Amino acid sequence: MAKVTVDGREVVVPDNGNVLEACRIAGVDVPHFCYHPRLSIVGQCRMCMVEIEGMPKIQASCTVPVRDGMVVSASSEKALAARNATMEFLLINHPLDCPICDQAGECKLQDNAFAAGLPVSRTSEPRRQYPGYDRTGIGPHVIADMTRCIQCTRCIRFCAEIAGTGELTFIERGGHTIVWTHEGKVLDNEWSACTADVCPVGALTTKDFRFRKRVWWLDKARSVCTGCEIGCNISIEHRDRQVFRFLPRPNPDVNDYWMCDYGRFRAEELNAQDFTRPVVKDGGSTKETNWGDALERIQKAVDEAIKAKGAASILVIGSANLSTEENYLLNSLFRTRLGVPNVEFVVDNGALRRIKNPKAEGNQEGWLKGLESAPNSRGAVAAGVTRALSDSALEKLSSGKFTPAVLYVADAAFAKKASDPAFVQAARKAGFVAVHARTKNALTEVADVVLPVASLSGKEGTFVNSQRRIQAFSIAIVPPPVVRTDMEVLLHLGKRWGVFDTRWTAGDVFELLKKEIPLYADAERESRAVAGYPAVISPASAYDSIFSPEEAEAKLIAAAAEGRNG
Amino acid sequence: MSGGANVPVDSLPGQPPVGEHGALSCGKDVKFSEEALAEFEKLLTRYPTKQAALLPSLWIAQREFGWISREAVDYVAGLLSLSPAFVWGVVTFYTMYNRAPVGKHLIQFCTSISCHLNGAEEVYHECRKKLGGLKPGETTPDGKFTVIEVECLAQCDKAPAVMVNGDDHAVITKDNLDKFLESLK
Ligand code: SF4
Ligand code: SF4
Ligand code: FES
Ligand code: FES
Repeated sequence: MAKVTVDGREVVVPDNGNVLEACRIAGVDVPHFCYHPRLSIVGQCRMCMVEIEGMPKIQASCTVPVRDGMVVSASSEKALAARNATMEFLLINHPLDCPICDQAGECKLQDNAFAAGLPVSRTSEPRRQYPGYDRTGIGPHVIADMTRCIQCTRCIRFCAEIAGTGELTFIERGGHTIVWTHEGKVLDNEWSACTADVCPVGALTTKDFRFRKRVWWLDKARSVCTGCEIGCNISIEHRDRQVFRFLPRPNPDVNDYWMCDYGRFRAEELNAQDFTRPVVKDGGSTKETNWGDALERIQKAVDEAIKAKGAASILVIGSANLSTEENYLLNSLFRTRLGVPNVEFVVDNGALRRIKNPKAEGNQEGWLKGLESAPNSRGAVAAGVTRALSDSALEKLSSGKFTPAVLYVADAAFAKKASDPAFVQAARKAGFVAVHARTKNALTEVADVVLPVASLSGKEGTFVNSQRRIQAFSIAIVPPPVVRTDMEVLLHLGKRWGVFDTRWTAGDVFELLKKEIPLYADAERESRAVAGYPAVISPASAYDSIFSPEEAEAKLIAAAAEGRNG
Repeated sequence: MSGGANVPVDSLPGQPPVGEHGALSCGKDVKFSEEALAEFEKLLTRYPTKQAALLPSLWIAQREFGWISREAVDYVAGLLSLSPAFVWGVVTFYTMYNRAPVGKHLIQFCTSISCHLNGAEEVYHECRKKLGGLKPGETTPDGKFTVIEVECLAQCDKAPAVMVNGDDHAVITKDNLDKFLESLK
């Protein structure tokens, strides 16, 4: 441990910390561009200049390891002058057209110019330009505009050190330097859009989001990616009832600062809402109806089936896409209250997803790996829903050996199977088919009742990821009128048999989970362990906002105690 | 305002435009000769990491292939287990790796201060004119001469100084230019 004094305030920093971190712990925000806690330190941008007693020259604080007894002046006149100068040099060749730059509002150059720059520009010369390398696609997801690059190398280091693919490099040198790929190659790896996150300026932006919405209009909600079982923490960024993008919400225990492109670009899929009212089949024709009628039909079909053929004639399909709360309600209603033995789910194995996080629990060779293409198989199991095995009712249904009197599917897209024609045909043989659905698929075509439900952006609850971490997600957008969340549907349905109270919130159900499911026993819904970290203001400054100075200090100390490089 | 050629975003998923920064293709696969490979292997023993051997490896490549093509970059990257992008970054950082084919004689005129004061600029222009109006960096059709301008050759006492491939030539003036060129043929 080293005692360091920053602007008169003494702080304790682990020996492997650097002066920039010491300043942060002391509550002094030293502006910086190239420093990123997960990338190698290069001292490239010269923005983080501070004065250190005993060192005649001004120092780039990110490159200086702390020493016991160090005295740092982060806000001295000399330090401020140095930072002003760096800022001025950076701006000599910067377009200064923030109003037409998509990064404006979450740009570190803009922020640092405000915080540490001169209020005026002393240059009026034309800015450097790179015809052919501005506003050009550099990969399937990323647009590069080299006129805006400040040569911090964060993107290059991301590709080389985190992705391990090394697509990017500096080409040429001096005032001609650009970041680009080798000829004939594109920036295409599983996490390529993270380069746009780490880029402090508008030099790298994502094709999907670029110029779609000014970032200061976006509202943020803490959520969890449903693309695979890793469950990267995300922020759903939305406006006017429309989801615009996902950003990774930093969480050092799960996704660190990253998320994969596959998960990220599923964002706008949340905006699809084919069903806005319950739909029922009457004879041969389908019609829209109200909730009362739709639930009435389900209740009738279930009661009749139990009376005529017993509860075992009913098959209920839960889903690894539903929250633990929802699976729990499904199981309580059908298995516990109505005695249905077949409450099952299946989950697909998708492409292998990987997130680099050497420090996370459960990593394999430095990676968290996700095979299941749904977020919550563990939660479903914990909630009592059975994973369908070869002799399960669900498999018997698929192979035509079991024809349920009632088939209740709580997620029309529970797995690939749901749109497999053979399965749909078998399912249709059931006496009565009810599904929860947001978008149309083969199963909703044949269902007797389709209950319109909200997407992830309209729901709250918890998932249990591959590390068995309980992770909460919250509501971004209130679902459109009439559409309900899966939880509301189940509460209203359950009320018909007198089991649930329709006023319950996800929080109330969470309390039930705590009582009934051992995995949830000690979980606190609002705790950091479950709720994760707040969404950050800008992805490039994720590091700035993830920890309060006190937390940063605690983290660093814990890291030092374990002998890790914080 | 950023300006310049605006390559449409929809040009993807194609490739980045081939521009002045792009590595040119030589149109064929390249490979070190036996001797060069042996030299390369020996080289590796002298450095702590493979990456550290990049500059001398590129020199071998330049000697073997004449210039550093896209294929040469890929080849060297493969030899050293580096990403081709990294190798290309290094090639473009240094000016003495040729990024296009050069003539048999690469004539490098120093135009830094001492040579400049002694009329290097004029000799440089005159030389290009004599070789059929070559543009800087261009090669004569017979593949013999390429003329470029370089910074100080550390021959300031013999200004205007010229370097041809690796050899120094002292005091090349307008008067002895013809004789100089003749000596190269
Ligand atoms: S493109 Fe962005 S991240 Fe990459 S070097 Fe330039 S400013 Fe830094
Ligand atoms: S790794 Fe999985 S959870 Fe993470 S962003 Fe990708 S799909 Fe989503
Ligand atoms: S030099 Fe320290 S942050 Fe860039
Ligand atoms: S200035 Fe020409 S050799 Fe030094």
